[in-house]
Order: sequence, then structure tokens, then C-alpha cells
Amino acid sequence: MSINTNNINKEKTQKKILIATALSFAFFIAYDFLYLQPKQAAVTELNKQNAIQQTTTQNSAPTTVNNSVTTQNSAPTTNTVVTTDIVSTIETKNNIIKIDNLGRIAQVTLKELQYVDEDNKQLHLFEQNQLRPLEVRFANTATNNEAFKVNVVASLDKIDAINSVQKLILTQNLTNTTLTKVLTFYPDGHYDIDISSTNKEEFFITPGFRPNVLADMYADHGALLTLNDGTLNIIEDEDMEKSAELVGVNVASAFDRYYATVLYNYDVSMAVSVMKDINDSPNLFIQAKDGISLHGYMGPKKYKTLVALDERLSSVIEYGWFTFIAKPMFTMLQYIHDYVGNWGWTIVITTILIKLILFPLSHKGMVSMNKLKDLAPKIKAIQEKYKDDKQKSSMHMMELYKKEGANPMGGCLPIILQIPVFFAIYRVLLNAIELKGSEWILWIDDLAVMDPYFVLPILMGITMFLQQKITPNTMTDPLQQKMFQFLPVVFTFFFLWFPAGLTLYWFINNLFTIGQQYYVNRIFNVAREERHDKHLEEKHHNKK
Amino acid sequence: MNKLVLLLINFYQKYLTILSFGSCRYYPTCSSYAKTQFQHNNFFKAFLFSSYRILKCNPLFDGGFDYVKIKSPTKSKINLEFKKIKVKYWLVPVDEDRCFILKHNTKWDK
Repeated sequence: MSINTNNINKEKTQKKILIATALSFAFFIAYDFLYLQPKQAAVTELNKQNAIQQTTTQNSAPTTVNNSVTTQNSAPTTNTVVTTDIVSTIETKNNIIKIDNLGRIAQVTLKELQYVDEDNKQLHLFEQNQLRPLEVRFANTATNNEAFKVNVVASLDKIDAINSVQKLILTQNLTNTTLTKVLTFYPDGHYDIDISSTNKEEFFITPGFRPNVLADMYADHGALLTLNDGTLNIIEDEDMEKSAELVGVNVASAFDRYYATVLYNYDVSMAVSVMKDINDSPNLFIQAKDGISLHGYMGPKKYKTLVALDERLSSVIEYGWFTFIAKPMFTMLQYIHDYVGNWGWTIVITTILIKLILFPLSHKGMVSMNKLKDLAPKIKAIQEKYKDDKQKSSMHMMELYKKEGANPMGGCLPIILQIPVFFAIYRVLLNAIELKGSEWILWIDDLAVMDPYFVLPILMGITMFLQQKITPNTMTDPLQQKMFQFLPVVFTFFFLWFPAGLTLYWFINNLFTIGQQYYVNRIFNVAREERHDKHLEEKHHNKK
Repeated sequence: MNKLVLLLINFYQKYLTILSFGSCRYYPTCSSYAKTQFQHNNFFKAFLFSSYRILKCNPLFDGGFDYVKIKSPTKSKINLEFKKIKVKYWLVPVDEDRCFILKHNTKWDK
């Protein structure tokens, strides 16, 4: 009796867990839609208003060890730039760069065709009310205040760097010093900057606040610094406790999911102050003393583009925890893509390759799983006999497997191995700008965004369900079985808003598992029928 | 440290087993093996043996019975007077100073 109530209780708790899981999924989705998204919209709206109304943003220079500037500065805010504020416009092959009246980069517009937003408009990298790239802050408060009031003089107001390297000189004449920025723009869209001040006036320069094209909770966004000793520092947005100072830096980057603004110099290392802004997000300031030379890049974190600038610059693409496996994964994808030329098919081929590598393991598992089908009566007997004692039942099962030389289970290792592989693919497909605007077949015209008609996620769910149906399982607990059947539904929900490329991977993966299982099942069925026929024949023969 | 690992294993057994259900080739399963390891051996030993077990848990190995081995208890701890005690574990000697440890199941009492 006590066992019975126990079981009932257990079933009840399991049911509760099941319901709780379903409810929490529903909650998160609802929360995201009804609360987070409107809130985000509200925050951006608020930010805009703040920027216009309040003139108390901290435009002071970061403090250094030998120079403590703590006063806040009521410099002009970074208002939305009206066209008259633009002193120079540079057009390269890949982008259009606008320089504002304080010598900062006001906006970068990407020219390449794949970089468009939902309304098919060209992408602008930067939010107007954020810290702008190439903003200079002087250590001396008075000079700093003045610098935010005096317009710079540009040597040219329109520059055509589409086919040739072009120079722009920005000069700012202040009472104590003259600041000169010499910018060299290259046709590929990157630039060099040589900046200096007279009278040994110390200052800082920033790569700017990160682009704000796509910054969501699915991938990191914030600041990234690589050091000469090979270490990588990532400071995520809204996560800073206190400002920090780093030395020996060779790359200072601020990034969202796909885009980054980078200042780098591999020959002379930089000292960088990481300041926290009102949202606890990082603002990077490179210590320039009275002059510094840097290289700069603002645009998509595309592997080939970055590597073309400097082999080592690929480090600004980061995949989080699983970088060690995600990086080779990306290299493989890139390699296949060079041959295939289409990212959709690249994903399909990669999936097949991974399946092939895991084939010996999965095949062996499937074969012994099927062997077990023949032992079904014996297993049933064991299960009947030890109905109330799961432990004993599984012990006897194990004995049976041993005797028959068939162990149906795939093992824990294959499952554990699959987890990092999946996460790596997930991160790569989530972070790879290469997928942006790359189409596959029929309705899929951008693998980096979700399937607009939810076809792939639903196909994924169906194949997952079929895969479970076709796979012989040894589950005995009906409730556990029910929970297992519930999994495809959960996964479908999960995948609804995932990038199409990722869903495609999962779908193809399921498809091939089904194929493999079907093949194994058939071989066994044929073998069984043959045995059956033989058996009948023998019987027949004996009768005679 | 061991407690932390045990907490993680418990969490896994409670909520995540569903993803890997019925895949272990051994008895006891990898998770309960690891649990026993971390309950009765020191961290490094437990970690080493648990990792080894998981590595072996794939179709290239046969699987089967594989119990946790621990150091045999000293003589003084052995219930020589055969007093009635509540059994929690069964210790089965393997050699001079080591023994298997099996969890007792209360259903066996009847």
C-alpha cells in the first residue's frame, strides 16, 4: 500500500514538474514579448529625451594614475546630429563615414547590399546619443570643456576614397593647445589615425560606444580588449561594477552581435581606461599622452575582412565559452563555403559531415538497440517480475544484455560530446555575420534571421517527433515516456525565433538520424522475416 | 567542493535526465556512480574515476556492472557482534584493502 501511495505521489510530482516546465516556457515567451520589448523601446525613447534635455552627461576625461580629474563637465550633449553639424563626408567602397563638428565619427552607413534592415534600408551602425568614435577628452578640465565648444576645421568636406587612399586633416584650435587628427581612409573602409596635441596637453581617444544594430540577449555585446600577453577581456553591457584600467592592450573593440568599432595597434601597445556609463556599460578610452597612432575599423565582424586587415584581428570575433570548439567549427564552415558558395548548403554539408564522424558510434548503438527488440519477451518478463523494484529490474536487465552481448544504450559519452558541438554550432551560426543576407532555397532569404513563416522550426519539430517514434526505446515508466514525447513541442517553441541557419542544422540532423534508423530497422526486419521463414520451413519439413 | 558537485548531480538527475534518458550502458548509471564517488572518495579521486567512467560509457565498450570501489573500513568499524543495524550500504571486498560499495535498497528488507 505504502508503495502504491509512494508511486502516486511520485507521479504527481512528475506531473507537476511537467506542468511547471511548460508554464515557465510560456512565461518567458510572454515576458519577452509583453514586457521586455516594450520596455526596451521605452528605454531608448527615454535615452533620447535625456540626451536632449539634460546637459549633465559626464564628458570628463578618465582619471589616470598621475592625474586625477574628477570634476564632471557640463559640455554640450551629443545631440542628434543635424546635417549642418557634419563637417566632412567620406565615401569608401564599403561605407559612408560622416564626421561631425567636434571631429568625431557621427555615423557609418554600410554600402554593401546584404547589410539592410527589415525595411530594406541601409544599415547605420551607431546610435546618435551615444559616445561617438574618435571623441577626444582632455585630462585638463578647462581644455576639455573648451574642446566640446569649439568646432573643428576639416581639410575637405567631401572625400571620395572609393578607389584610392585619401587623407583628411581635422584641426581644433583651443586656447592652450591645437589638436590635429590626421585620418587616412582606405577604399575597403578602414582607416588610420594620427592624432596629436601641442603643448604636451594629455588626452584620451575612444573607439566609441558599440554599434547598436543588433544587441539582444542571445549573444554578448559590450567591449572587448585583447592584450599583448594573449589574454582576452570581455566587458558586457550593463554589467560593470567599477571602472578599470588595462595596459598592454593591442585591440580595443566595442561590439554588438554582428558589428564592431575597433581601434588597434599591434606594434605599440595601448593603455585603456574602461569607464562605466550611466547604464553600467563600458566606454573605452585610450590613453594618448600628447599623441598616438592607431588603426581603426568600423563595420561587420566578418572573418575575411578582419583577417585581411591583420591576421590577429580575428580575435574580435568571439564565441563565448565554447570558443575552443567554435573557432575550428567556423574555419570548417568557411572552408566548405569557399567550395559551395552558399551558406545554406554549407550548413547541410557540415551537418552530414558531423553525422558521418559520429556514425560509428551511433550505428553501433542503433544496431544493438534493434537486437534488443528480439529479446522483448525476456525483457518483459524481467519487468513483470521486478515491477516494484526498479533497481533490481535494471540490474537483471544489465545481466541480460551482458549474456546476449547486446547493450542497447548509446552511452553517456556520445550525449555529453554532442552538447559542446551543438553549442559551438549554435554560437557560430548566431554570431556569424557571414550568414547575413545569405539565402538558401525557396522562402529562406536570410539565414541569420528567424524563418518568417515558421516552416523550418515546425519541420524540425515533426522530424524530431518522427525520430522518437521510429527509435526503439526501453523506457518503462509511462510518465517519463510522456515527458519524452513532450520534448519535440518544447524544442519547436525554442526554435521558433532562432536564426533560420541554426534551425536548418537541427532539421537536417534529425532527417539523417531518421534515415539511419530506418535503414537499421529495415535490415533487422528483413533478417527477422528470413529467420521466421526458415523456422516455418523447418516446421513444414518436420511434419513431412 | 564535493558537496557542490553532488548538488549539480542531484540537479541533473532531477531535471536533465530527460534529455539523456535511458542511455547509460552501465549499472549503476554514470550519474549515480559519480554521486557515490563524490560521497565516499576525495574530490580528485572521485573526479578522475567519474570522468573515466563517462569516457568508457560509449558503444565501443561493453558496459555492464561497474560499482564504486572504496578503501575497506578498518576492523574496528566492522559489526562483528552481528547487532541488528539499519543497513545503508553493502561493502563487498574486492581485495586486501578495497571493496565495492553498493547502496542498500529498502525494498530488499522484505
